[in-house]
Amino acid sequence: MTDAAPKADYDVLVVGAGIGGMESALTLGEMGFKVLVVEKEPSVGGRMILLSKVFPTLDCASCISTPKMAAVNNHPNVRTLVSSEVDRIVPRKDGGFDIELTRKPTFIDPAKCTGCALCEAACTVAVPDEFNYDLSARRAAHIAFPQAVPKKAVITRRGSSPCSFSCPAGVKPHGYISLVRAGKYDEAFRQHLEDAPLVGVLSRACYAPCEESCSRKELEGALPIRGIKRFMADRYYSTHAVPEYGPPREQNGKRVAIVGSGPGGLAAGFRLGQLGYAVTIFEAEPEPGGILRWGIPAYRLPKEVLARDVANVTALGVRIETGRKVSSIAALRDQGFDAVFLATGDRGGRKLQVPGEELSGVQDAVEYLHRINEGHPPDLAGKAVVVIGGGNVAIDSARSALRLGARSVKMFCLESRLEMPAHPWEIREAEEEGVVLTNSWGVGQVLGYDQRVFGVELVRCTSVFDEAHRFRPTFDLSVQETVPADVVITAIGLAPNTAAFAGEVALERNGTIKVDPETLATSAPGVFAGGDAVTGPSMIVTAIGQGKRAAFFIDRFLRGESTEGTRFDSRLPKVDPVQVAAEAHESASPRPPVPLRRRPAEERIGSFQTYEEAFTEDQARDSANRCLDCGVCSECRECVRACPADAIDLGMAARHEAVTVRSVALATGFSPFDAKAKPALGFGRFANVINGPQMDRILAPTRPYNAVVRPSDGKAPSNVAFVLCVGSRDEQVGNRLCSRVCCMYSMKQAQLLMGSLPLADVTIYYIDIRAFGKGYEEFYQQTKGMSVYFQKGRVSRIEETDGHDLLVHFEDVEGGGGHKVARHDLVVLSTGLLPNQGAFGLFPSGTLERDAASYVHEVDEELEPGATSLEGVFAIGAATAVRDIPDTIVHAEAASAQIAAYLRRGGATA
Amino acid sequence: MIARAGLRNLREVLRDEMVQRDRIAEALREGAKTIPQLATALRAPENEVTKWVMAMRRYGRLRELPKSRSDDYFLYGLVGGSP
Repeated sequence: MTDAAPKADYDVLVVGAGIGGMESALTLGEMGFKVLVVEKEPSVGGRMILLSKVFPTLDCASCISTPKMAAVNNHPNVRTLVSSEVDRIVPRKDGGFDIELTRKPTFIDPAKCTGCALCEAACTVAVPDEFNYDLSARRAAHIAFPQAVPKKAVITRRGSSPCSFSCPAGVKPHGYISLVRAGKYDEAFRQHLEDAPLVGVLSRACYAPCEESCSRKELEGALPIRGIKRFMADRYYSTHAVPEYGPPREQNGKRVAIVGSGPGGLAAGFRLGQLGYAVTIFEAEPEPGGILRWGIPAYRLPKEVLARDVANVTALGVRIETGRKVSSIAALRDQGFDAVFLATGDRGGRKLQVPGEELSGVQDAVEYLHRINEGHPPDLAGKAVVVIGGGNVAIDSARSALRLGARSVKMFCLESRLEMPAHPWEIREAEEEGVVLTNSWGVGQVLGYDQRVFGVELVRCTSVFDEAHRFRPTFDLSVQETVPADVVITAIGLAPNTAAFAGEVALERNGTIKVDPETLATSAPGVFAGGDAVTGPSMIVTAIGQGKRAAFFIDRFLRGESTEGTRFDSRLPKVDPVQVAAEAHESASPRPPVPLRRRPAEERIGSFQTYEEAFTEDQARDSANRCLDCGVCSECRECVRACPADAIDLGMAARHEAVTVRSVALATGFSPFDAKAKPALGFGRFANVINGPQMDRILAPTRPYNAVVRPSDGKAPSNVAFVLCVGSRDEQVGNRLCSRVCCMYSMKQAQLLMGSLPLADVTIYYIDIRAFGKGYEEFYQQTKGMSVYFQKGRVSRIEETDGHDLLVHFEDVEGGGGHKVARHDLVVLSTGLLPNQGAFGLFPSGTLERDAASYVHEVDEELEPGATSLEGVFAIGAATAVRDIPDTIVHAEAASAQIAAYLRRGGATA
Repeated sequence: MIARAGLRNLREVLRDEMVQRDRIAEALREGAKTIPQLATALRAPENEVTKWVMAMRRYGRLRELPKSRSDDYFLYGLVGGSP
C-alpha cells in the first residue's frame, strides 16, 4: 500500500495465528496493510482457544477468542493459510523477504467441506487428541476442535503404511484391517473390492508381501494379514452368494477386448467394467481363471472361491468367452474393439534340454497341474516321483504328487536352500508332508529303458548365479548321483504365451511383450499388455496390479487423453516400519500373533481339501487390533463414503508457494514444558497426575470428559492438589525463569474446581505466589477466601497407591517443617512455558539472534518492542519472553505499531 | 500400599477402543454402569476403560446419567440403539 515501498506480494508475513499473531494481523490489516498469516495447525486460535477461562476476570476464553478468529479469517486485508508452514525466509537486496512455504495436504477439499464431521464419525482410526492434550481420542479424520476456524475437517496421514505400500495390486491392507478391527466386516470386503477384485483368491493363495513389510514384524511378529482377509472374504461370501451390484448405469459405448482370464485379465476387466466399457474377455480354456484355475492346486485355492470371485467381475457386465483362443489382434480390431489388453500369461514350462527328456513318464509341471485341476490326474499311486525345480510350481507339483498317492516324492533343485525361489513356508509345509528336498543338484540326463523313465542322473551344482546375479549355473561334473524315478516332473520355469502375437507387437528377446513400463502400451496403438506375458512368472498380486494399471491407461487412451506424464501410482511415501516399531515399543504390551491353524500333515495329504482353518471372529478382530496404524489414516475410505459433499481427496499432495513480503512478524508462541522431564512427579506414569493445560481442558466447556473426573476411573475427585513451578525456576531442567502464568492459572483452575466440585478440598503447593498484574493480587486473595489451601513447600516426589490416589511428598516450609506426605486423589502439575525454537530455523543460519534464555532477542525492548536483530523482522508476544494473555496482546499491539512505522517509512530501503 | 503398575502405551490403548466399544456396548445393554463396573465386566484397567468410554461419549454412542453430589461415579448408558 505505501509510499516508496519495494514491491512485494504482502506487506507483512505473520508466522503463527495464536492470540498474538491474530491481534497483530488484525491491527495491521485495519491500518490497510496487506497481511499474510501462516498457521501450521488446521485452525487459527493457538493455545488460548483451548483454555477454559482467562484470569483474573474468569471470562470465557472461547468467547474472547472466537470473534478474533473469525475476524482474522475473513478480514479483506488478511489472507490466512492454515495447515501451512513457512519453510524459509530469505532477506532480499531491496529490504524485503522471499518466503517459501508449504501448504500441507489435508486430504479434504476445504472448499467443499461443510464441517459436518460425518467423516469423523465414520473414521476407523483412533489417535490421541492433541487439542485435548492426549486426554482423549480423536479420529484420523477430524475437525481440530469444536470452535475451529475455519471449521474444516482434515485427515492425519503420516505416509503410506508399509503393508499398503508393498502390495503390487494396490490393495490397502491397512484399510480393511482397520475395518475388521472396528467390526465392519462387509465394509472391509467392499473396500478390498474397490482396490482389487479376486478377494477370495488372494485370501487363500497370495504370498502376502504385505506381511513381510508389516511394522509389527519388528516386534513380536507380523499381522496375519492374509488370515484376516480370509476371515472377511469367507464371511462376506457366506452371506452374499451373488454379487450385490450389477453393471454400471452408464455405458460409454466403447469396446475393449481382453485376451486371457487370469488375474491380470480379470483385474483389467473389473476396472474397465466399472468404468462403463463393454468388455469381452477371451479365454482359450473351458473355464476362466488362467493360472488360478489350472495352475494352483485346490488345497491352496478351492475352485468355488475362484468362481465366486469371477462372478464379481461378470456382474459388471463383463463377458467371458471361454474356449475362444485368440491369435490375431487384427481380427479383434475387425470385430470392432477399440482397445486390446493382452494378458495371456504363460504357455507352459521350459525344457530341461538334457538327454532322456522325451521319455515316457517325464512330465511338464504346468501340464501335470492342469490335468489335476481338470479332474484327470495322472496315476501316481505307489510311484517314486522326482520333481526338478525350486520354485513354488515345483512345490505345488511335489505336494500334489503326495496327495495322488506317490510312494515317495523327492525334489532336486540347482539352488541352495536360501536361494530357492519358493517361499520358506511353502518349503516347510512340503517337508512336513513328506517331500524330501535336496539342494544344489542339476540334471545331467533322464535315464530310461524301453522309452520309459527309470531314474535321473544328477550333477552337483556349484553355483547358480554369476557376479551380476544373472542365472548362469556351473557344475562339478565329477560329482554325480543317480536316483530312481517312475515319474519325473519338471518345473524349471515358465515361458510366456506370446508367440501368436509376434508379428503384431514387439517382443523382448525372452519372448515377453515389450511395453512402456508406466502405461503398459505395446508397440501397436491401442494395444496394451500386462501380467506374466510382460513380466515373466510373478505373483498373483503383481498380475492384478498390471491389470489395474492397464485399465487406467486404456481408459485415458479411449477418452483421448494423453498418457504422457500421467502417473498411475499416487501412493504417499512409505512410513519407516523400524521407526514405527520403535515408537510402539515404548510401554507397549506384547501381543504375539495368533497363528493360522493348519491340519496335521498326515491328514492333509489324504485329499486336495483346503487344510488351512479360517480365523474365528474374535481371532480376526484381535489380530486386526495388533495393527500399529503406521500411516495413521488407514485409507479405509469410510470417510469417502460418509462425506455428503464429496470433499475427501486422498490423492491431495503438498503445495509449495513462494511469495515476497516487506516485513515479517514472528508470533510463534511458546513450547509447553513436558512434565515427563520430572520423572519423580509421576506424569505419564500415574493416570491421576495431569498437567495444567490438561486441567484447563477438563474445565473447559468443550472438555473431553462429561465432568471433572479422574482419568484413572471416572471418579469425581474430592481432594485435588496443584504443584507449582514444574519446569520453571528449576535449574535441574535447565529453566531458571519464572513462567509468570502458572500461579495465576492454577488459582483460576482452583476457583473453577470449587465451582464444579463444591465439596472438594483443593491444595496449592507453592514456593512463592507471583500475582503481579492488574487485579492479580485480588484474585489471589479471592482464591484464598474460597478456602483453597496454600501449602508453602516444594514437592519432591509423588507416589501412587493401589486405589490410584497419590501420595505427595513435600517440604513443609511454614508449618512444622520437615518432610511430609499428603494424600490426594488428583494432582495437577502446573507446568511452565519454554521458548519455542521454531523461528530460528526459518532464517539463514545464525542471523536471527536469541537472548540468554533462547527467546527471540528484542534489540530494544523499551523503545522498539518487537524489533529483532534482523531489520524488517519483528517478534511478538511469547516469541520474545514468557507472557500471559494481556501482556501478549499489549506486546502484539506495540510491535504492530513498530511494524507499521517501519512500513510507512518505506522499510529497509528508506 | 504403593502401586507400581505403569500406564500402557497411549496409542495402543486408544486403538483398542475400536474393539472394546462393542464389548462396552454389550455390557451396557444389561443396564447403565460406572467405569469401575465396566472395567470389571471387561476385565480391563479402569484408566483404559475411561479413555474408551469418553471416546464413545464424544462420538455419541453413550451418555452419562445424572448423578447426585454424593455419588463418586457417573453411570453411563447407551444412546438409543447404539452402536
